[in-house]
Amino acid sequence: MYLLVILIPLLSAVGSGLGGRYLGRKGAGFLSSVVVLASSFLSLVLCYEILMNGSTVYIELGRWIESDLLITDFGLQFDMVTAVMLIVVTTISGLVHVYSTSYMREDPHLPRFMSYLSLFTFFMLVLVTSNNYAQLFIGWEGVGLCSYLLINFWFTRMQANKAAIKAMLINRVGDIGLMLAIILIWKEFGVLDYCSLFSALTPSSACTWICILLTIGAVGKSAQLGLHTWLPDAMEGPTPVSALIHAATMVTAGVFLIIRSAPLFDYSPTATIIVGLVGSLTAFFAATVGLVQSDIKKVIAYSTCSQLGYMVMACGTYSCIGSLYHLLTHAFFKALLFLGAGSIIHALLDEQDLRRMGGIIRGLPLTYVLMLIGSLSLAGFPYLSGFYSKDLILELTYNNYCLISIYWLASITTFLTAFYSLRLIYLSFVTKPNLTRKSAHHLLEADWNLLGPLLILAIGSILVGYLAQNMVFAPGIRPLPLVPTVVSLAPVIMSVTGILLVFIIRPYLIYNIIRPSLYGFLFYAWEFNQIANYYIGSTVWEFGHIVSYRTIDRGILEILGPSGVAHFMVNKTKELSSLQSGLLFNYALMILVGTAIALKYLIAI
Amino acid sequence: MTYLILSIVILLIGTLGIILNRSNLIIMLMCVELVLLASIVLLLFNSQVLHTLLGQIFAIVILTVAAAESAIGLAIMVNYYRLRGTIAVRSLNLLRG
Repeated sequence: MYLLVILIPLLSAVGSGLGGRYLGRKGAGFLSSVVVLASSFLSLVLCYEILMNGSTVYIELGRWIESDLLITDFGLQFDMVTAVMLIVVTTISGLVHVYSTSYMREDPHLPRFMSYLSLFTFFMLVLVTSNNYAQLFIGWEGVGLCSYLLINFWFTRMQANKAAIKAMLINRVGDIGLMLAIILIWKEFGVLDYCSLFSALTPSSACTWICILLTIGAVGKSAQLGLHTWLPDAMEGPTPVSALIHAATMVTAGVFLIIRSAPLFDYSPTATIIVGLVGSLTAFFAATVGLVQSDIKKVIAYSTCSQLGYMVMACGTYSCIGSLYHLLTHAFFKALLFLGAGSIIHALLDEQDLRRMGGIIRGLPLTYVLMLIGSLSLAGFPYLSGFYSKDLILELTYNNYCLISIYWLASITTFLTAFYSLRLIYLSFVTKPNLTRKSAHHLLEADWNLLGPLLILAIGSILVGYLAQNMVFAPGIRPLPLVPTVVSLAPVIMSVTGILLVFIIRPYLIYNIIRPSLYGFLFYAWEFNQIANYYIGSTVWEFGHIVSYRTIDRGILEILGPSGVAHFMVNKTKELSSLQSGLLFNYALMILVGTAIALKYLIAI
Repeated sequence: MTYLILSIVILLIGTLGIILNRSNLIIMLMCVELVLLASIVLLLFNSQVLHTLLGQIFAIVILTVAAAESAIGLAIMVNYYRLRGTIAVRSLNLLRG
């Protein structure tokens, strides 16, 4: 059963990928949905065994790498972290599979889409269940590959191609960090599997470097500040992809990496502080940018970025389990928000712009309720699941003794999060209609294949925070932050203020008029793309063209190599052949001189 | 010793005549004759000094060869003159590399 939960999605990927033309659109959708849902039920059973009964399972599959001191197996490790990630991955993935069968109903390439989704699930499961870093890296690269394939699913669109390449390349930067970290772990400790590594840990200066490199890996995958620019662009993919990959699962792989390497981080306070700072800055940055975005999916994408910042920040305060808990609840409400956004987009005939929505509460009441649950949960409204995890993280950051600035950034982010999530609801559902006549006519709720997953996710985002708190924190004790009452009330006050403020100041219009320059700065995401393109992209491009291409490749190497040697030889042979002048007296002279030289040397000898 | 010097001087005149001559192919042929003559003088001198007949036999052979060579050379020259209308050595460079 433990192997089955991983291999079933692979079966589905191969089945609907290779057999898609025999199964047809409906058949492939049905097969992959059923199979992945089966996998998610299996993972629930596993969770019962692992989380509630507290039995960690290790499975050895076979030898992979065997050189002198380094022995790496294919192996699986099902412990608490894996169990939580299993729930996240398989549940969200199963629901997204069901959702896609309705959302992508018209698409002629549905089998291929289902195959990619299942393949992604498989790689994600390989990532979370592996018992060593090398096998984790297979999953890590595999989800990157699937991300490329899925963003680029509508490959005839130029923007989708560019976004996919951008996502791949920026992820590569992080992957280099992870690879270097793995190499450094191997050099320092000589083992790659977690059990041996974490029992052989000694405080050494290499720990800091390993942790910093792991952080770079996490920054790339989890879209933290600096390498985050691919995440909003990845919204070019279909909406179920955004929900599955760019909200719930793949982007949490970076956080998972940090949680998995928590014992390493315990030996390196420097790296932990860096992680905390990066996380809190990302949370703040993405929340400010989310305030003014006009594309509904980009708002949610930036909120994902911000929530990932929270998770990373929680890892930076030595409370990895808190981070894992937020990862679990976040997966539910973020997948709900994305799938709800997909429902809106679907109902409005592929309209994604918030400025051209409004008033659709009359046509889509159920979607409204579901989106509102998701948004309130995201905003940390009391008694919803976001509240449990986010409040905990905030209080833990207040407890953290090294950097109080992290706490302040996180608190402001809470306020901003509440503001932009409700702004999304306000602009799309509540405010005056701004629709085209055509889309207003077609405004209808979709079928139950599309709404069913939303309902389940909504129930999840109400209840998971409460239900899971004793499961996630089962092995340890739930951390009880000792904070003043004001601090423990602050997040709620902040988020409720944010929620109310949306209805007091009419968003979008006001800042645009009062502060156009600030609005533009936020709208273009702090100009990160422009800065990266101008200072990094074009500089590297010029270096590549002028120095490495024109000077080295076509210059030095060309002259020392093929064409230079050829020219030299041709010139020399021309000079030599011009010695044969055709004039007899020159030949006679040469004979004479040659004879004289020959005589001189022959007689001398 | 004088004969040795004489033959060397004739040899040098012959070779220099071949090298320095730029105008006439006949002069070149004559210089070749001079070189052969120098060798004959040297052979005869040697046969006198060493009291052997071998040098004189060789001298006769060389005389024959020289006669044949000049006959063939003149024949080539006549044919060449028929084709080109000139026998200047400097205009003989059509086969340059």
